[in-house]
Amino acid sequence: MMLSNPLAVIAEITHRCPLHCVYCSNPTQLASVDSELSTSEWNDVFQQCGKLGMLHAHFTGGEPLARRDLVELVSAARGAGLYTNLITAGIGLTEMRLQALVDAGLDHIQISFQDSHEDVANWIAGAKAHAHKIELSHAIRKHKIAFTVNLVVHRQNLDHLDEMIGFIEQLSPDRVEIAHTQYYGWALANRAALMPTPAQVERAVAIVAETEKRLAGRMRIDSVVPDYYAKFPKACMGGWGRKLMLINPSGKVLPCHAAEVLSGMSFENVREKNLCWIWQDSPSFRRFRGEDWMPEPCRGCERRSEDFGGCRCQAFLLAGDATATDPACSLAPAHEAVTAAIHAASFQVGATIPTASSFVQLQKANQNFWRYRTNPE
Amino acid sequence: MPPPSDTSTPCLAAGCRWGGTERDRVILYPEGAIKLQGTGRQVLERCDGRRTFGEIIQELQKEFGKTDPDKIRADISMFLEQLHKRRIVDY
Repeated sequence: MMLSNPLAVIAEITHRCPLHCVYCSNPTQLASVDSELSTSEWNDVFQQCGKLGMLHAHFTGGEPLARRDLVELVSAARGAGLYTNLITAGIGLTEMRLQALVDAGLDHIQISFQDSHEDVANWIAGAKAHAHKIELSHAIRKHKIAFTVNLVVHRQNLDHLDEMIGFIEQLSPDRVEIAHTQYYGWALANRAALMPTPAQVERAVAIVAETEKRLAGRMRIDSVVPDYYAKFPKACMGGWGRKLMLINPSGKVLPCHAAEVLSGMSFENVREKNLCWIWQDSPSFRRFRGEDWMPEPCRGCERRSEDFGGCRCQAFLLAGDATATDPACSLAPAHEAVTAAIHAASFQVGATIPTASSFVQLQKANQNFWRYRTNPE
Repeated sequence: MPPPSDTSTPCLAAGCRWGGTERDRVILYPEGAIKLQGTGRQVLERCDGRRTFGEIIQELQKEFGKTDPDKIRADISMFLEQLHKRRIVDY
C-alpha cells in the first residue's frame, strides 16, 4: 500500500490556558512551560510540514494566544504554504492583535462557546470568558477570514441545544461545529457528569438535522456524533497515521490528541528526528497502520477499511488493551464498558451551578461534581 | 438558495483561497481542500469577484465551442450552486 502525505498538522503550541474547561482534550499530564518549542523550532517544523505536502496548520493549545510569538508562528506556517487556522477562546486577543494575525496571513479562526447562558458557560469553563467571546466574534466579522463557532455539547447543556444554536446564529459564523464531548483526558475524568442521556442524544440528532436543512447555504454545520451511542466506532483521526500529525508543546509527535496515554509506546520528538521520517518510518506511526495489528472481529469485518478498528486510545482506556476493538463498537468484546458508562450516567444527580467569586472557590464548590482542567507547571 | 444570476459576481468565500502547486492546484477552506482539474479549475479561476456570471459563461462557451452552450451554462450554474452551499463560493 502506498503511504500518502499527511494532510494537516495540529500544532499544540502551548498547554497554558486561562480557561479550565472540564472536557478539555489535552492530556491530564500537561507539557511544562520550560519544555515548549521555540519560535525558530516551530518555524523549522512548519517548513518540514510544507515539504511533506501538508495543506493545513491548526494552531491550538492550551490557548495559542498565550504564546507571545503567535503572529510570527502564523506567518511562518503561512510562509510554508499552509492554510492557517487558529483555535482559540480569545482571551488575550485585542482588535490590534487580531489585525496583526490577519496581516500575517491567518485564514480561519475558530472560537468555542461553552453555552448560550453566561453563567453556565463560565461555570463549565471555570473562567469569566463568555462576554469577551461575544465581543470578539463581532470584531472577527469585520475581517475577510473564515469564522467557525464550535459548541461542545454534553449532559449539562444539551437540554437547551436549540437555544444555543439560536445564540450562535446571531454571531453569524460561516461554519458551526456541534461536537459531542469525546471521553479522553479531562473529559474522561468527568465522564459521569458529562455523559448525555439516550433521550438527550436522540433529540440532539433531530435538532442538528433540522438546523442543517434550515441553514443550508448560510452556515455549514459539521457535527461530531457521540461515539458511545453509535453502532460502529469512529474512524479516529481518519485512521492511525493516515492523515494527521499532532505536535505537542514540547515537540513530541503524536498521531492524535490522546496517544500519550498508551503505556508502553514511545513517540518521537521534532528536536531529534525529522517529520518525514517520523511520518513514514517511525515505529509509533507505523504501529497501527494498515490491518496487520487488528484483532477479531475487526480482522474479518467488512467495515475495517472504513473505521480502521476505531480508536486505539479508547480501546486502551476502556478495555485496557490498545490492540482491542474499540469498545464503542457494538461488536466489540469489551462493548459492555460503554453500555455500563451510559447506564451509570443516567443515575447521576444533577448539578447546581454555584456562584463563586474566584476559580479556587469554584473548584472547591464543584469538587465532588467534576475536576477543572488545571495549568501546566 | 437560488443559482447565480447573469449579473452576479462569484468569488471565493471568506477564508477560502488557492493553494497547492501549479500542477496540483487546490482550493483550501476551513478543515478541507478540493483538488481542481479541468473545467472546475477554469471556472473557479474566473470567479474573481469582478467578472459577472454571464461573462464567465460566455468565456467558457467560447473555450468549449463544440459543446451545447446551454449545457455549459447549466453545468457551471450547478457547480457554483454546490460550492455556494458548502460556503466556498459567494455570489
